[in-house]
Amino acid sequence: MDKRIYILLIVSMLVNSAFGQFVGRDHLSVSLFYMQKTELDSAKKYIDLAVIDETLKTAAKTWYYRGYIYKDLYKKQDKNNKVSPVRLTSIESFRQMLTLEGKDEFKESTFKILKYEASTLYNDAARMLNPEQYKLALGNYEVFRSTMLLINPNADLTTRDVKFKLALASMLNRPVKNSAGLDSAQTDQIKGLYMEILTLDTNNPAANYNLAILYYNEAADIINNMGYDVDIMRLNEIQDYCLEIFLIGLPYMKKSYELKYKRKETLTGLSNIYYGLNDMEKSKLYKKELESIEVEERYTLLKNKLKEIEEKGLKDSDQYRKYEAEIQKLEDKFKDLKKE
Amino acid sequence: MKKIVIILISLLILNSGFKIGVDTNSKMKAIFIMNFTKLIEWPASYREGNFIVGVIGDSPLYAELVKMAKTKKVANQPLEIKRFSTVNDISKCHIIFVSENKSQEINSVVKKVKPNSTLIITTKQGLVDKGSGINFIVKNNRQKFELNKQNVERYKLKVSSNLEALAFTVK
Repeated sequence: MDKRIYILLIVSMLVNSAFGQFVGRDHLSVSLFYMQKTELDSAKKYIDLAVIDETLKTAAKTWYYRGYIYKDLYKKQDKNNKVSPVRLTSIESFRQMLTLEGKDEFKESTFKILKYEASTLYNDAARMLNPEQYKLALGNYEVFRSTMLLINPNADLTTRDVKFKLALASMLNRPVKNSAGLDSAQTDQIKGLYMEILTLDTNNPAANYNLAILYYNEAADIINNMGYDVDIMRLNEIQDYCLEIFLIGLPYMKKSYELKYKRKETLTGLSNIYYGLNDMEKSKLYKKELESIEVEERYTLLKNKLKEIEEKGLKDSDQYRKYEAEIQKLEDKFKDLKKE
Repeated sequence: MKKIVIILISLLILNSGFKIGVDTNSKMKAIFIMNFTKLIEWPASYREGNFIVGVIGDSPLYAELVKMAKTKKVANQPLEIKRFSTVNDISKCHIIFVSENKSQEINSVVKKVKPNSTLIITTKQGLVDKGSGINFIVKNNRQKFELNKQNVERYKLKVSSNLEALAFTVK
């Protein structure tokens, strides 16, 4: 009998030591207890109860720890999820915390965590810049943005915005490279992105250049896809429409030229647009400028090759003579181009 | 982080490319020429066999016409495109297009095609007064054409009133 009593006493003590510590303790304290023991699922359970508890939900501390626990959950369980809801809950909790009294105590730590979370959002957005996931990438980028502004409402995100939008536009523009072509909705979407970039940075060379090409391609596509049976009246209408498009694209390509962006490609662009505008004189002018650059490049390349051959003591080789002859031709061509 | 930078940079350096193989001006001219074949009537003896369009000199239009000939006919006549290097090479054709680099030889071309019913098309200001029937011009960046009715009808070709109405100028 005595033995049974002892056993009951021991069991009772064990039970009390496990649960007795929570008697009279609130959900936040319980949650913190589990958090310290890195039992995150339990910590989450109690912190979620804490934020709906009338006495706890107005305390900055409650929301801070919710943000903290969810951040840990993200790090330990959900890091590979590029659209992790756990990360979002963490950020939202911090956002809520920052609206409450007593926030100052947690600000420094919160901003540090938010910075970390923002960087993961940005990275995941970049990773999702592909045709299948770009909408999710945009969502992530927007959260990244709002998180950065949470840390510093005066933060200048222009450079980041431009970079991200450019990357997104380039990704969406890729079908052109695969010659699959873009439909008009896609073209409009990409144009819209470049326009947004130019609103942020008028002198952005890539946006100017790519926007000009989009307009050129749009008009060229219309002309290219015309049937040969189009009557002259209709042909004139199409001409008018295409000219308008070429003219819209022209200032962007001129800007790219001013900014000395992708010199050769821009010169090709200007030559093509003027050709589309039936201004053959200007088209030729830019083509000539392009030729001059190409001649100069080839000239420099050959001069370097000659130097290499000379250094090897092979001045009598056929290769040397071949390069020399080509250099002579290039010099003549260069003179002709200058004259013109 | 390094990986992210690479992803972004690789996307940033991608630029749009121009549509390759689009010669907007030649396409326009080819469509105009197709229209001319419908709005000008050739004598009966020219309405059988191939419908021949000759191009003298170097012009990107030649390639466009070749492309057009692959799918188009003039009434029931298959289109045939011929390229001539010199005026002497010119053989009997329904239309002869004189490229810009051969414009100064317009008089020789006129002489050469005189015995035939050939529509002479040129692409240089003033040639419509020097024997050309139709001359392509650019007005306000638009591709247009001038018509010299006499120069067309001289070769027993009939000009439709519609063509006159569509021409920028008619002489």
